Amino acid sequence: MNTIKGYVRENGEVGVRNHVLILPLDDLSNSAAIGVSKLIRGTTVIPHPYGRLQFGRDLDLFFHILSGTGANPNVAGAIVIGIEENWANKVADEIAKTGKPVEVFPIEGNGDLRTIEKASRKALEMVQDASEKHRTEVDISSIVMSIKCGESDTTSGLASNPSVGVVVDKMVDQGAAVMFGETSELTGAEDIVAEKMVNDVLREKFMKIFKDYDGTIEREGADLLGSQPTQGNIKGGLSTIEEKALGNIQKLGHRKVNCILDYLDPLRREKGGTLCFVNTSSAAAEAVTLFAAKGSVVHLFTTGQGNIVGHPIIPVIKITGNPKTAKFMSEHIDVDVSDLLDLKISLEEAGERVFNYMLRVLNGRLTAAEVLQHDEFSPIKLYISA
Amino acid sequence: MSKGLIHSKNDDVCVATTDVRKGEEVRCAYLENPASYILVKSEEDIPLGHKIALRDIKKGDKVLKYGRAIGEATKDITKGEHVHVHNIKSLRWGK
Repeated sequence: MNTIKGYVRENGEVGVRNHVLILPLDDLSNSAAIGVSKLIRGTTVIPHPYGRLQFGRDLDLFFHILSGTGANPNVAGAIVIGIEENWANKVADEIAKTGKPVEVFPIEGNGDLRTIEKASRKALEMVQDASEKHRTEVDISSIVMSIKCGESDTTSGLASNPSVGVVVDKMVDQGAAVMFGETSELTGAEDIVAEKMVNDVLREKFMKIFKDYDGTIEREGADLLGSQPTQGNIKGGLSTIEEKALGNIQKLGHRKVNCILDYLDPLRREKGGTLCFVNTSSAAAEAVTLFAAKGSVVHLFTTGQGNIVGHPIIPVIKITGNPKTAKFMSEHIDVDVSDLLDLKISLEEAGERVFNYMLRVLNGRLTAAEVLQHDEFSPIKLYISA
Repeated sequence: MSKGLIHSKNDDVCVATTDVRKGEEVRCAYLENPASYILVKSEEDIPLGHKIALRDIKKGDKVLKYGRAIGEATKDITKGEHVHVHNIKSLRWGK
């Protein structure tokens, strides 16, 4: 069993970063939240465009993403700023269930400046308290991770994705939890993914989610041709969605899928390792944002042509099998496995390289995306607001 | 010599793992058994990551990669030609 040094939170979950989060509940509260982050060193702010007049399942998903992000074990404490108190409290109450400190500051009746002052005083306290949290040695089984590819090309299916597949097998075998998604990008390989399900109940649930997605496209009278594959995919040599999907699933490894999460489902871990399909869009930032909200503390992101996505609270490790991308976009790439294309190393060696790098990141090494301030936070929106 | 890789033994295409010039011989190795390979003469320039036809493919035929259909040919393709969006299309979308 591998071990890592992580932050064991009040509820026993293990984080690998120690953020104090300044979370605006809605678009109107971004300014105050950014104001706090400018005054108080060591805070992480995540501005976003939503949170007003959403309703139904879309609102539920929005709350799920905001509270899940605050509850993520990479977060030591959170401050929620909202134009009014009620919805902010809903999110804060969910975060508080983890036992970590959380405080709400409403803007109505106070104005931005008074809100910034009050919230900053609390943030100062939280940052100092968080600075005394220390990493301790824990089994790697405590880790929840996620995987996704972006700006894929044919090298993704040949090198970077199968390398991640090796890591997925290792993590599941050691009892960790791994989430994957990208519903639309499984088109043409959905039968292979369905075969990976541990039983018929999960198989049916998966196919229902997949077909519902297809239904959405039909209802819109749309065709994803033109969006899938993307222009970047096509430049990289991918010709059809089927080809892209068959490359995509190389990163799933060889273990059975024993968990399916629709948008609102919380992660439930299985004894002896969890491999979870999560219903997500295939847009990089939206998928990573949803994975993090469901508890992922580290993300392995494979890219062919050079997707540069990051996330404000979870390290996103960029892996490429394309030697040109490794060379010309080197500042974004954490792990280069392009020598696999020349068959200079074995797939197992490439997987080991990714795994060892991930261990360093889990222990605290900053990823390229973290240093380059790639803090993309993109909640999935299901439909128009009221 | 330029190089390429073939995912599965029945595949119709080889993925160039170097930039390939027109007229070059490409050594396409099988991923499952890299010691075995086929040589194919490239009929045009093919960038790294793009596909080369390993055999003649007729219009309407399915095109195999990973041992599975990734689409169908929209025109006749000859061995050594570049295989991409100009001569194959998805079986699922864009009908």
